[in-house]
Amino acid sequence: MFFYYLDLAWRSIKKTPFLSLLMVLAISIGIGITITTLNVYKMASINPAGERSSQLFAVRLLSQDNDTWDEITPQITYQDAFNLRTSAVPVRQSAMFRTGLAVQTEDINFAPILESVRVIDSDFFGLFDVPFIYGGPWEKQVDDEGGYKVVINEDINQKAFGGGNSIGKTLLLNRKPYQVVGVTAQWNPSPKYYDVNNGAFNNSEQIFVPFSLTPIEEFDSWGNNNSWRREDIRTYQDRLNSEMHWLQYWVELDTPAKQQEYQQWLAAYVEQQKLIGRFKRPDAHGDISDVGQWLKEHNVVPEDNKVLVGLSVLFLVVCLVNMLGLLLAKFLKRAPEVGVRRAIGASRLQIFAQHLVEVGLIGFCGGVLGLLWAWGALYVLSTKFDLEQSLAQLDQSMWLIAPMIAVSAAIIAGLYPAWRICSTNPSVYLKSQ
Amino acid sequence: MLSMKNISKVFKTDLVETHALRDFNLEVNEGEFVAVTGPSGSGKTTFLNIAGLLEGFTQGDYFLDGVNISNLSDNKSAAIRNEKIGFIFQGFNLISDLNLAENVEVPLRYRGFSAKERKVRVERALDQVGLAARMKHLPTQLSGGQQQRVAIARALAGEPRFLLADEPTGNLDSLMARQVMELLEDINKAGTTIIMVTHDAELARRAQRNIQIVDGQVCDFTMYQSGQTDNKTQSIADAVSVA
Repeated sequence: MFFYYLDLAWRSIKKTPFLSLLMVLAISIGIGITITTLNVYKMASINPAGERSSQLFAVRLLSQDNDTWDEITPQITYQDAFNLRTSAVPVRQSAMFRTGLAVQTEDINFAPILESVRVIDSDFFGLFDVPFIYGGPWEKQVDDEGGYKVVINEDINQKAFGGGNSIGKTLLLNRKPYQVVGVTAQWNPSPKYYDVNNGAFNNSEQIFVPFSLTPIEEFDSWGNNNSWRREDIRTYQDRLNSEMHWLQYWVELDTPAKQQEYQQWLAAYVEQQKLIGRFKRPDAHGDISDVGQWLKEHNVVPEDNKVLVGLSVLFLVVCLVNMLGLLLAKFLKRAPEVGVRRAIGASRLQIFAQHLVEVGLIGFCGGVLGLLWAWGALYVLSTKFDLEQSLAQLDQSMWLIAPMIAVSAAIIAGLYPAWRICSTNPSVYLKSQ
Repeated sequence: MLSMKNISKVFKTDLVETHALRDFNLEVNEGEFVAVTGPSGSGKTTFLNIAGLLEGFTQGDYFLDGVNISNLSDNKSAAIRNEKIGFIFQGFNLISDLNLAENVEVPLRYRGFSAKERKVRVERALDQVGLAARMKHLPTQLSGGQQQRVAIARALAGEPRFLLADEPTGNLDSLMARQVMELLEDINKAGTTIIMVTHDAELARRAQRNIQIVDGQVCDFTMYQSGQTDNKTQSIADAVSVA
C-alpha cells in the first residue's frame, strides 16, 4: 500500500501545485537554516583524532608565580618543553610551535612566498597520523643534533617542484637550504586541535621543520608571547630561557598505566623545578588532557553555537506551524473524497497512513530543497562573511540527516491534519458531493 | 441477511434532540430487491448509512449476515463494508483524479488483492457495465449515466453480497435512469441483494419489495398489500393514505 499512497501523494501534490510549493518552501527554509547551523556546530564539534583521542594528551604546567595568572596555561615554555623531551615514558612526543619563513627554491624564476611553518619533532607525524605520499619523517638523530631537513605537503611540492617525488630536493627557507625528506598528502584536521591558539579552525601548516633547529635558526613564534612577569630580553637565547616563549606539547600514552606513569614523571619534574626555585607557587603541578577534554577546556565549540542551533530549531517549528495550517486546509478540502474512500472500505488507519505518506513526501521535497538552501547559505557565509572553510563544508551526513529531520518534522506537523481528516464522518460528505 | 430490530438513531445538539429513526425494524432476505421511499427528512439516508456501517445507531440490534454489527471496531466495519457492501450514490462520487480503471480498483486496493487479481476484476466489472473500452478515461470525460455505471462497476468489483443505492438515478435523465435501473435489475437477478432509496415511485414499483419510511419508521407496503402486516405498519399506512 505504501507505493499506492506514494502515487496518491504525488497526484495530490500535482493537483495543488501552489499550495504544495508553499508547504515545501516553508519546510525547506526551516530545514535550510537548521541544517546550516547544525552543520557549523557539527563541523566545529568533530573530534578529529578519532579513535586515538584518548591516547593523545596535551601537556600543561601550572608554573607561574603566585599573584600572577590564576589558571593553568594552555601551553608550556620552551625550556619546559626542552626538559620534557627527555622523558622516555611517552610512546611518541613532540614540542611544536608555529613560525613563518620565506620559501624559495634553487630555481631563480620561483618567486619567494611567505608560508606559515610548524616547528616540530619527528614524532609529530606519527602522533597525528599525517599521511605521506613520498618519503617520511626525518631521522630521530635530527631531533637531538639538529639538521636541515624539511617535510612539505603536496601543495607546496606542486608549487615549488611541480609535483612528483621531490625527496632529496632542496627547499630554501629564509635562504637556508633544507633537504626534502617527505611529502605529505592533504592533511587538515578540523578543529586544528594540536594548536588551538592560532585559530582552532585555521588550516594546517604546509611545511614542517625540526624543533632542534630553533636555537640555531632563531625561529620567531607566531603565537602567544605574553609573559606573567617582566623580563629583560636582549638575545634570542634570552627569549628561549624566558617565561614567554610559549609552545604546544603533545604526548602519546597508549595505556592507562603509561598515563599514570607519565603523570608521576611530570609530578617529579615539577618537584625538581620547585627545588631549584623556578616554580615558586606551592600548588604548581603538571596536567595532561586528552583530545576531547582539550577541545572542551578550550571552548572550541562556543556556547553561542548551541544557542544558534536551538534558535534555528525554533524557527523550524514556526515553519512547521505554518505548514500545519496549510495541510489542514488542503486535507479538509479533500473530505468528500475521503468519505468515498471510507465508504468503499478504507479504514481510518488507512486514510491516516495515506495522508502521512503525502506529508512525508512534502517533507522529503522540503528536506532536499532545504539542503540546497543550506549549501548556498554556507557558501555565502564562507565567501562573504569569512566563515572558516572547514566549517563551511556541508558534512556528508547532512545529506541523510536533512531529509530525515524534514520528513520527521513534516510528519509531526501532519499528525493533527491527518487525524482530523481520518476522523471525519464519511456519511456527511457522500450526499454533498 | 439484513436484520434491524428496534433501531433508534437520535441526533443531539445542545438545544434539540432529533429522532431520525425510532423503533425501526426491517428484515431483508438474500437476493431481494428492496426499494425504500419516503418524504424528505423521513430517515431514508440515515437508514442507508446505518445499513452501510457508515454511521452508528443509538439503540437496537443490527445483524448483517448473522454478525452483530453493534460496537464493531472501525477496522472491522471497514472490512465488512469492503467485502460485503457495495455503495452507489446519487452524485456518483467517483474520484476525479483517477481514471475509470483506477476508480474501480480503489476498493480492491483496500482489500489487499494482488495487481493481477485487481486487473481481472476491474476489467470484468467495467465490461459488465459496458465501459471496458473506456477504462483509461477520466470521469469528467463521461456522461452522467456512464459515470453512474462506473460507480456501479466499482461497487460490483469486490463482488459484494448486497448493494446500497442512494437515489442512483436522481441525477440522470429518464433514458439514462432506465438503463441504470435495468443494470441494477440484472445485477439483482445474478444474486446480489439490493436496497435502493428513491424518490421515483415508478422505479420503486419495479423492485420486488417496496417499503416506505415515515418519521423514522418502516411501512412495508408490499406486505401491507398482501395483507401480511402488523398494527404499526397499518397505522403508518393509514396515516400516509390520509395525508
